[in-house]
Amino acid sequence: MKQRPQPPRPGNPGTVAAARRRARNRPVLQFIAAGLVALAVLVVGTQWLSQRAATDEAVADARATTTLLARAVVQPALTRALVDEQSAALDRFDQLALKRLVVGDVLRIKIWNARGRIVYSDEARLIGHRFNLGAEERAVLLGGGSDAGLSDLTQSENRYERSFGRLLEVYTQVVVPGGEPLLFEAYYSYDTVSRRSAEVLGAFRPITVAALLLFMLLTVPLVWVLARRLGASAAERERLLMAAVEASEGERRRIARDLHDGVVQDLAGISFAASATARELADRPEVARRLEKLGSGVRHSLRALRSLLVEIYPPDLRTEGLAAALDDLVAPASAAGIEVNLHVDDTSHVRDEAVALVWRVAQEAVRNAVRHGRPTQMRVTVAVPGDLVVLLEVADNGAGFEPHTVPREGHLGLRGLRDLIVESGGRLDISSAPGEGTRVTLEVAT
Amino acid sequence: MHRWISRTSVALMALGFAATASAPAMANSSDVTRQGGCSHNASWKVKAKPDNGRLEVEGEVDSNVRGQTWHWRILHDGRVSMRGKATTGGRSGSFTVERRIINTRGSDRVGWRAVNRNTGETCRGGVTI
Repeated sequence: MKQRPQPPRPGNPGTVAAARRRARNRPVLQFIAAGLVALAVLVVGTQWLSQRAATDEAVADARATTTLLARAVVQPALTRALVDEQSAALDRFDQLALKRLVVGDVLRIKIWNARGRIVYSDEARLIGHRFNLGAEERAVLLGGGSDAGLSDLTQSENRYERSFGRLLEVYTQVVVPGGEPLLFEAYYSYDTVSRRSAEVLGAFRPITVAALLLFMLLTVPLVWVLARRLGASAAERERLLMAAVEASEGERRRIARDLHDGVVQDLAGISFAASATARELADRPEVARRLEKLGSGVRHSLRALRSLLVEIYPPDLRTEGLAAALDDLVAPASAAGIEVNLHVDDTSHVRDEAVALVWRVAQEAVRNAVRHGRPTQMRVTVAVPGDLVVLLEVADNGAGFEPHTVPREGHLGLRGLRDLIVESGGRLDISSAPGEGTRVTLEVAT
Repeated sequence: MHRWISRTSVALMALGFAATASAPAMANSSDVTRQGGCSHNASWKVKAKPDNGRLEVEGEVDSNVRGQTWHWRILHDGRVSMRGKATTGGRSGSFTVERRIINTRGSDRVGWRAVNRNTGETCRGGVTI
């Protein structure tokens, strides 16, 4: 019996081990990548939230400071004379303001009356000038409370503050003896807000980042162990599958060998004997004709049995050649009345794995076409363009099928081969439509 | 006639005293400085200079006696803006007070007063800027 080829394997052991390592490490890398993305999102989110919190806190601090200054310093020092713009009263308030109000974070103060006149400012050039009060300021001036906002430095009343950069202005109501309400406005550098934000962020960021990093440090080994176990489990399943395949291959090989060495040889002998005997019985033509018919029937059965053997176990592609094997493969189709067009380029220089893969795909495609498509024409082509790739095309004009639906029994074989093809660096395409035949193409490197 | 001469002489003497008591001193274009004599032997000087919406006011009393305590006041448009105590010192027996007050709209009258309560000597001067 001839040496039978081994079915195509998904690469050498080194490649398999590397693939397994990749499969095992991929979830770990994905987990680490997801963790880093989460870390980045958390850092950005924390920064945004802490900036908001810090801004709110800084504004609240400024409001509290402004309210305290208004109640404790400004209001007790307010006099009618100041509101009436008496020079000496302004001087006295100015001394107080420069000593106790415009200190620390407070860069400027202004005191307005309800008509929009600046009663006092440490920027003395503004004193006595009139501007339009905004609605919020007027509401606080008349109704009490306090409010805060970014200074609009384009406004003319803020022209002397432009050199300070961004400013936060906070305003609250103060009351002159006699009951006239005024608006006390204090300006703070927005750098204070930014500094406060940085302080809050500085306090929270290490905690959040360290917590997530610690979480990743603890979970990555667990994920790695889990992935390793899953990988081992997958490898065990693969090993069992391979063992089952090999057992099946062995059984098929034994059956094919027994049939080839026994029944096929016997039938060939019977066929030859019948033909020879028929030639010797020239004087008895009727018996000779029957014997010749018997021999022909036996040869027909012998051919059918050989095709069956090809299906049961692949031929020795290296020894017999791919063309001969494919010729045997399509023989039953020709016998069934299908017009088969077979063309096979020279594949002697193509590596065995690629030839075996072409054979397996052709076997599945032809089998599917004959079983399910019931075509009248079939084309099997193996081409080696540029000696770089092997192209297999199996096309028929049969019933076809909907490629996106669940495959019928039989088409599963091709889809099952897809993994082997992908691992070999090849590509399998199946195009079909109901009533428009099927076209299976394989491309694999030589 | 004698009476007329006598009255004219008194008027001229009074004008001369006034000229001696309060005379403009050398100053920069933006500065206004006045100086004059106090009620006894001391002299005073006051200077005002505009500065970004304020006036830099400098009041000085020179008594030639070291260790005297003087009570001083700065008046702004006729009302007391600030007050304090100072002691003469240095070789000239003088003191100087420097303060900044608001430069209000229109002209500002800055008065300078100093009293030595031990001797009863008073100094009165001022500038308009």
